[in-house]
Amino acid sequence: MIQESQKDRSILVKFDHVGLSYDGVADILSDVDMVIRDGDFRFLTGPSGAGKTSLLKMIYLAQRPSTGAVTLFGENVNQMPREQLPLMRRRIGVVFQEFRLLEHLTAFENVALPMRVQGVNQNEYAQDVTELLTWVGLGDRIFALPETLSGGEKQRVALARALVAKPDLILADEPTGNVDPIMGERIMRLLVELNRLGTAVIVATHDLDLVRRMKKNILRLKGGRLTLHGPLKERTHKPAAGQDQGAAASRSAMGAG
Amino acid sequence: MGETMEKPLDGSALVPTKRRPLLPEAGAAGAPLITVIAVISFLACMSLAGFFLVRQAAQEWTSDLTGSITVQIISNSPADISRQTDAAAAILRTTSGVVSVKVYSLDERRKLLEPWLGQAEISDDLPVPGIIAVKVQKALRKDLSGLRSQLAEIAPGAVVDDHGVWNDSLAASARTGQILAFGIFLMIMLAAIAVIIYAARAGLAANKEIIDVLHLVGASDEFVAAEVQRRFFLLGLRGAVMGLALAILVLLFAGWALQGVEPSGYFLPAIRNQSGTLFWLIIVPLLMCTVAAFSAKRTVMRALAGRWSQ
Repeated sequence: MIQESQKDRSILVKFDHVGLSYDGVADILSDVDMVIRDGDFRFLTGPSGAGKTSLLKMIYLAQRPSTGAVTLFGENVNQMPREQLPLMRRRIGVVFQEFRLLEHLTAFENVALPMRVQGVNQNEYAQDVTELLTWVGLGDRIFALPETLSGGEKQRVALARALVAKPDLILADEPTGNVDPIMGERIMRLLVELNRLGTAVIVATHDLDLVRRMKKNILRLKGGRLTLHGPLKERTHKPAAGQDQGAAASRSAMGAG
Repeated sequence: MGETMEKPLDGSALVPTKRRPLLPEAGAAGAPLITVIAVISFLACMSLAGFFLVRQAAQEWTSDLTGSITVQIISNSPADISRQTDAAAAILRTTSGVVSVKVYSLDERRKLLEPWLGQAEISDDLPVPGIIAVKVQKALRKDLSGLRSQLAEIAPGAVVDDHGVWNDSLAASARTGQILAFGIFLMIMLAAIAVIIYAARAGLAANKEIIDVLHLVGASDEFVAAEVQRRFFLLGLRGAVMGLALAILVLLFAGWALQGVEPSGYFLPAIRNQSGTLFWLIIVPLLMCTVAAFSAKRTVMRALAGRWSQ
């Protein structure tokens, strides 16, 4: 099975019985098996504390699995030496709920950051950066500092930053958590559009309404285990209650964040 | 929305924008750190100046002495002294390697005794030794045995003094002074390294979020270390140039203030002729920014190497 996955170049991420625990404390993730292929769009859902962020962290190499094997782009990263991690990370773009922009840099400079750390000459990426900022609707805020931007604008800068190095995979951890619902919808449509252009996308969210509307496959985490691996079933209507729950959940997440 | 638009949307117009450092230029540690480096650099300059001044002064003392010898004529009879002195002076004037010969007259010799005997009339019977000051070339100064034996023949009371004892003790104390000054200089540089390592670690902690983001977007440890290195190079350079400027002012002022105190100051010749010393102080800022950059880079690389990921 492992050999098969190494041959299959369309597999971007493969988890084999992956578990995660912090020094003896109860397992955060246990026995997670999953495969993300080229062009996939996945929602990663589950209640707060289910391990969504930890799972993403293992993909963008901020966290090493305690057990099992994580394979990225055909290479096992469990034992990968530190010097090789940057090359892996450059193939993955990440968007966070709390944006994580560098506050002393302009939108342009923030978006250009992945190119700059690779030592690319500014002449080569200036056009791309400008076009990306225009694509996310911030063509007129190119030289704005993050403190002057709204949550939705910051998130779109963060999205442009995640895209600038043309990654094979985009991870988004609660990307709509700190933006208003209309902007959340807009950001989600940008991610879907991106996926249509060929980039694999994983979006962690507990906003089930959003997930239902997008009609995409989901990975459902509960108590550190992957419990559902496929499209979310259309439920028979419980509309008002469902929406309220979703809104309340995202508000509490904002408070916690 | 359009109110903050600063430039046209043409990518080419963006190229000239200045590249801001990725780590905030003057973080919390910026100004105090520059002050500390300036003070350390000032002290380093002063100790290094001490080193060079002692060396220069010692060279001047010893070169004064090594170019000269003194011949004393000692006898019980004043008449004998006078005769032997003339004979010795005659030989000295014909000896090759002798540059000049000055025979001290009786009055001059009595004057030299004044500090010990007072101004009281000195009896003509007192056998005041004859003194001949001789300037010689180095080759002769090194081997005086031939001259000694020649003098011993015609002037048995002649004693040739090459100031060897003086010279040796001067050289020894100058060496001690130099070692001390250089030791202090090294200690100060050690303090600088310690301060920079401490500041680099504090900077890593304070800028953790920025460094995490840099790693996240694919920065290598070398890239992060180079950013930190550049920051500390500039901090070190700025602090050290301030310290150097202050040290030069102080040294120039000291030289100027001591100008009037001509004869007694041992270091005076050196301080007044210090352009050479001041030139050497340029070492301090060069060394300081190199040390700052290197220590900071090493600190960061070591700190990051221990982490698997961010």
